[in-house]
Amino acid sequence: MLVVQDLHAEVDGKAILKGINLEVNAGEVHAIMGPNGSGKSTLANVIAGRDGYKITSGSVTYKNKDLLEMSPEERAWEGVFLAFQYPVEIPGVNNTYLLKAGVNAQRKHQGLDALDAFDFMSIVKEKAKLVELDPSFLSRSVNEGFSGGEKKRNEIFQMAVLNPSLALLDETDSGLDIDALRIVAGGVNKLRSADNAIVMVTHYQRLLNYIEPDFVHVLADGKIQKTGDKSLALELEERGYDWVKEEA
Amino acid sequence: MNLIEQTRQQADALFNQLGLPSKRDEHWKYTDVSAWADALQAEPTSSNIKAENLGIADLDVYRLVFINGVFDGTSSNLPHDIDILPMSEFLSTHEGQALEAYARLFDVQADAPLMNGFEAYNAAHATDGAAVCLAANSKLDKPLYILHINNQNNIVRHGFILGEHAEAEIIEHFIGTDAQRGLSNMASHIILQDGAQLQHYRLQQESSKQAHIARVDVKQHQHSTYTLHAVELGGALSRVDVLVNLAEQGASCALHGLFVLSGRQHVDHHTRVDHTAPHCTSNETYRTVLDGRSHAVFNGKIMVHKDAIKTDSSMSNGNILLSKHAEIDTKPELEIYNDDVLCAHGATVGQLDDKQLFYMRSRGISQEAAQELLTFAFADEVLAAMNNDVVRRYVEQAAFAKLPHNEDIEGMLTT
Repeated sequence: MLVVQDLHAEVDGKAILKGINLEVNAGEVHAIMGPNGSGKSTLANVIAGRDGYKITSGSVTYKNKDLLEMSPEERAWEGVFLAFQYPVEIPGVNNTYLLKAGVNAQRKHQGLDALDAFDFMSIVKEKAKLVELDPSFLSRSVNEGFSGGEKKRNEIFQMAVLNPSLALLDETDSGLDIDALRIVAGGVNKLRSADNAIVMVTHYQRLLNYIEPDFVHVLADGKIQKTGDKSLALELEERGYDWVKEEA
Repeated sequence: MNLIEQTRQQADALFNQLGLPSKRDEHWKYTDVSAWADALQAEPTSSNIKAENLGIADLDVYRLVFINGVFDGTSSNLPHDIDILPMSEFLSTHEGQALEAYARLFDVQADAPLMNGFEAYNAAHATDGAAVCLAANSKLDKPLYILHINNQNNIVRHGFILGEHAEAEIIEHFIGTDAQRGLSNMASHIILQDGAQLQHYRLQQESSKQAHIARVDVKQHQHSTYTLHAVELGGALSRVDVLVNLAEQGASCALHGLFVLSGRQHVDHHTRVDHTAPHCTSNETYRTVLDGRSHAVFNGKIMVHKDAIKTDSSMSNGNILLSKHAEIDTKPELEIYNDDVLCAHGATVGQLDDKQLFYMRSRGISQEAAQELLTFAFADEVLAAMNNDVVRRYVEQAAFAKLPHNEDIEGMLTT
């Protein structure tokens, strides 16, 4: 589904990604771990199409198409979703309207008719339950006045409604207490299927107790230094990151 | 000669002394009215405007219509037992204290803040206006909708006097029927007695060649509340001076302004809030969205006088420029003469927020639609303060129609 080859990216002339190779197939869950500043969030943002990164070499292929050629909205229409580390507040833009426009733009791209208000609302209500999102949040402005945990829950709710093929979760666990983490992780687990893939960026092994990965990658100094299964995460928790770099 | 005639004669003398403001004037340096100087004194001729189907539909209101500054009885609908009358009728039916109070609204002083020749001329020569006098403890059961239909010169002076604890909603709406060149010289003089509450809408949608010059002058007594919603969409040039005097303790005012401009439109608001008494509150929010070669001016001054302790005051002005040829000149000013106050003010001029744009695009909203939606949301935040939903929807649609937009986001707003 996703093939990243020798990806180099820089911000303001400073190299952040220095040759990333990663292959993600349908049905898989990948965890990308690593110390602060290693490039984890950059990788997620580059895949989602955020401005401000200069790709100096390498390629990102998604469903056999060149992802780097696509605008952020085209990527969304093709099924790429980014759950933000810091979801932005958008006063005056209604949470549900935003999603409805997103869903219908995606449907249009796929040659499908727009959902009518009734069908859309029934999907929204069903998905809100999945992450135990209070229905009153649906009619509020996007993320405005939401607590940190509510924002993260809203991200997973949006993911559920947009039903992506490739979901990138950028530090979705940060700022969540244990109950909120359980709810959010539970939501993600219910969205796992043989047809989609999930890439989680995280600092902590904690999240992986709830969402079990098939692969764990250690990203340090702009490169994936080591790949293993979930036992690697436990080892990292115990020993830190330094030994991985030394070994590499 | 009666009191009101005398007062108006003095106003004419002041006009002769002041003349019209020029760009050499500090408060008029961005707004050039010289092209309309010759229009000031032109007599309106009769028009064949039919007012019946004009204005905002679906409003359940009392209706007062002025066509080129002249009361139009046939399309108006006034309450019977309340003092809401055209000026001429008020003058012929009132005397004594009521007339004296009304006459004071024509009293213009050279040293009043932002005094200028237009206001003096208006006081001297207004052809008509609404005289609204609400008795103490009365509540107007329906909003008063004052529709001004202009395609020539017109001079209108309103007086709204709300007695103690009286409540009203007044919607002033200015529209034009065709693009003839004219000057609207408008004034609304307002007195709110103790505990009175006024919701005041000013919706400026004059035709594209009209100039609109106005003064809104509010005096507030104890614990009275004044709310202004000033919307600027139309006209070639518009200049509105808003003056609020929080004269007695516990009074509060909220001023909400929205300009959505395009082409070569020019809109200038000068606001001046005087905190004269203790424990008064003022909140001011102005937003502009400027496209084309439009030019907006915002000058907001808050003056906190020596005795006005425990003043709580805030002012913000946000501006979005959609075109590199559009211009905003913004100047929030605070002058404070005591230490016991809470004041905040600020202005921003900006493009849209990149983080918000990326967030929306990552959810599948096209770049174009995301920009349009954010622009509309920015404007709509000011309108959220409107209590009257019919007016709000009307303004939203009119503002929306002026902004660049595609049908996708229209769907998002009406669903």
